[in-house]
Amino acid sequence: MQGLTVALLAWALLHPHGGGGGDAWPTHTACKNGDLEVLYQSCDSLQDFGFSIDQCSKLLKPNINIRFGIILREDINELFLDVTLLTKGSSILNFSYPVCELDQPKFSFCGRRKGEQFYYAGPVNSPEFEIPKGEYEVLLELYNENHSTVACANATVICS
Amino acid sequence: MAPNISFLLLVVLLSVGCTVITSLDQMCTEKESNKAYNCDYLGLREIPDTLPNTTEVLEFSFNFLPTIQNTTFSRLINLIFLDLTRCQINWLHEDIFQSHDQLSTIILTGNPLIFMAETSLNGPKSLKHLFLIQTGISNLEFIPVHNLENLESLHLGSNHITSIKLPANFPTKNLKVLDFQNNAIHYLTRKDVESLKQATNLSLNLNGNDIKSIEPGTFHSKIFQNLNFGGTFDVSIILKGLQNATVQSLWLGTFEDTEDQDLSSAMLQGLCEMSVKSINLQKHHFSDFSPATFQCFNQLQELDLTATHLDGLPSGIEGLNSLKKLILNVNNFDQLCQINAANFPSLTHLYMKGNTKKLDLGSGCLERLQNLLKLDLSHSDIEASDCCNLQLKSLLQLQYLNLSYNEPLGLQSQAFKESPQLKLLDLAFTHLQVNVPQSPFQNLHHLQVLNLSYCLLDTSNQRLLAGLPELRHLNLQGNHFQDGSIPKTNLLQTVYSLEILILAFCDLLSIDQGAFHGLEKMHHVDLSHNNLTGNSIGALSHLKGIYLNLAANSINIIPLRLLPILSQQSTINLSHNPLDCTCTNIHFITWFKDNLKKLEGLEETMCANPPHLRGVKLSDVKLSCGMTAVGIFFLTVFLFLFTILLIFSFKFLLRWKYQHI
Repeated sequence: MQGLTVALLAWALLHPHGGGGGDAWPTHTACKNGDLEVLYQSCDSLQDFGFSIDQCSKLLKPNINIRFGIILREDINELFLDVTLLTKGSSILNFSYPVCELDQPKFSFCGRRKGEQFYYAGPVNSPEFEIPKGEYEVLLELYNENHSTVACANATVICS
Repeated sequence: MAPNISFLLLVVLLSVGCTVITSLDQMCTEKESNKAYNCDYLGLREIPDTLPNTTEVLEFSFNFLPTIQNTTFSRLINLIFLDLTRCQINWLHEDIFQSHDQLSTIILTGNPLIFMAETSLNGPKSLKHLFLIQTGISNLEFIPVHNLENLESLHLGSNHITSIKLPANFPTKNLKVLDFQNNAIHYLTRKDVESLKQATNLSLNLNGNDIKSIEPGTFHSKIFQNLNFGGTFDVSIILKGLQNATVQSLWLGTFEDTEDQDLSSAMLQGLCEMSVKSINLQKHHFSDFSPATFQCFNQLQELDLTATHLDGLPSGIEGLNSLKKLILNVNNFDQLCQINAANFPSLTHLYMKGNTKKLDLGSGCLERLQNLLKLDLSHSDIEASDCCNLQLKSLLQLQYLNLSYNEPLGLQSQAFKESPQLKLLDLAFTHLQVNVPQSPFQNLHHLQVLNLSYCLLDTSNQRLLAGLPELRHLNLQGNHFQDGSIPKTNLLQTVYSLEILILAFCDLLSIDQGAFHGLEKMHHVDLSHNNLTGNSIGALSHLKGIYLNLAANSINIIPLRLLPILSQQSTINLSHNPLDCTCTNIHFITWFKDNLKKLEGLEETMCANPPHLRGVKLSDVKLSCGMTAVGIFFLTVFLFLFTILLIFSFKFLLRWKYQHI
């Protein structure tokens, strides 16, 4: 019986995963506080990423600080963010924001290359905002000039 | 016994694991037959046997090759481009590329390199591009120098490098790009830059290295193509350090996430002591903006002040008399006159894209810019009820005007009379209010390209495009026509020199047979994303050899009489149409198969009917529409029975007739 366990363990270890699908990535907590909880899950079949928000409050301060760690799958001379906000299954907000452009690289990481391990801790230009009570689904996608995915996240925002 | 069975099971499971790995070998995708392959993210531990020996371009990122040696790529001797990004490579042993004469690009980004053998890069006759980004390099002696004589670009970003000084025997004669982004270089000395002296027209990138000091005289009489010091805390250190240098393009911008000192006029003094053609100061704050701020910019031809928090430029600025190109994108102007255009009499290019406030064009604000060729005012919330003669007064030389993505503009007849030389006019996504029968573009005798996509035009105005004798390229994407149809007489009949016409996303249901009459020069027609049926093809009967895009329409059957019109064109896209794959459409399907070379988007050209063929590619459909054996059998039986019935009824009739005799 013990041998079987060893065999199963060996199987589990040797079975290649991550390369092209398989199980979904785990759900992580980006921030959790009294009245706000932000959960996210990578929707890129090839890799997970790390993300956290420094101040976690339903009263979002302007230019909140985030931390973000990922391995770049693509060059990011040009990088765009698409955000879709849904509540109870219906879309309430859609926008696209250029993060890096050739004529305006907004952040110091613009121009980094495919394969670089990339960590960003700093501000994002967000407005001052109070999140109304409720549960929201947020879909975020980062992609480059060729529309190749750099990162993809399914997030849940629970505000009580 | 039990442990033995478990052992056997383990072996079986292990071998299953292995077969999974080997079966993945098959999954490299062919990008160009026998030449280019992509094997990214396959967890491969070696070069798959399935790759042909003729492979020239190999993308092999995110696999697993801890050690690379002379046997690793020995079979692929024709390699030109090899991407080994993030393959967990630790060791590059001797003579890996010994027989790879043609190899010109090697990418080793993101590998935890421990050691590269002296001869590890030997072999290629002309190794031009080497990427060693984020490979943990702290000492430049780490890079084997033996075969780098032909190197044109060396990428060393995101390492632990503290000095740009190349080893004494490092060949730099052909080097054009040397990239040190995001390292820990804080000091530049004379000896450092002296090590690059053999390179000519070098572009040196020190972005993200916060330079703290430069030894005096370091750049004395040095010539560079591009120098990038992006994200430096104190720009004056750079400008002082570049004394007596000649630089084509100097990038000194900063970023949202970078701390930097506000720019004062004193800090820019260093520019008086050097020669520079183009300078970028994006995202800086100016502490004391005055007419004297730019006094050292005398020789400058190009100035980029993107997002520098400007709400105006003072009048009487000295030093920008010879400026040719000024970029003021993403600033906070209220009025176009606030840039005080008289400061820049030589300007040929002016960009004011994405102003953060609603920009009022005022009147005659740019009239002193007699030489202006190119003007970009897109994405700036511009609104005007009567545009654009007063606003763009005296821009007699203007050739390129971009007013796309703005608020509604009202245009009268001859709205661009002040810029008669216009060649390209972009008004995409700006709502245009034009009263019938005004002709706003009248007298633009040189206009070649006009983008009117999503302008909410009144397309019933027959005179809308009048007076454009040279117009070659017209984009009307996303505009609507009355009743979804283009009638015989329409606004296109005045633009007879048209070559490219885009009518995608116009909700079209039909096009009259004579709608494109008179447009004899067209060679590119995009009618995709409408609701057109096969009959609209008739409108193209007089055109030959064109590119025709009919993707995403409602075409199901194309009658026989229209096939010659398709046959005379050079490329046709019929993808995403609900095509009929029954015998009613057999002529078209036969034509389709005979003309596969002309067709674009074959993978997405599929049947919608009959239900059992839905989603099948049209090129794979096999229909036989002659009479079937069963059909012939039933017809014979039917005829036979009919004959018998006829004979019997004839007999009966005769009998009945002669009965009475």
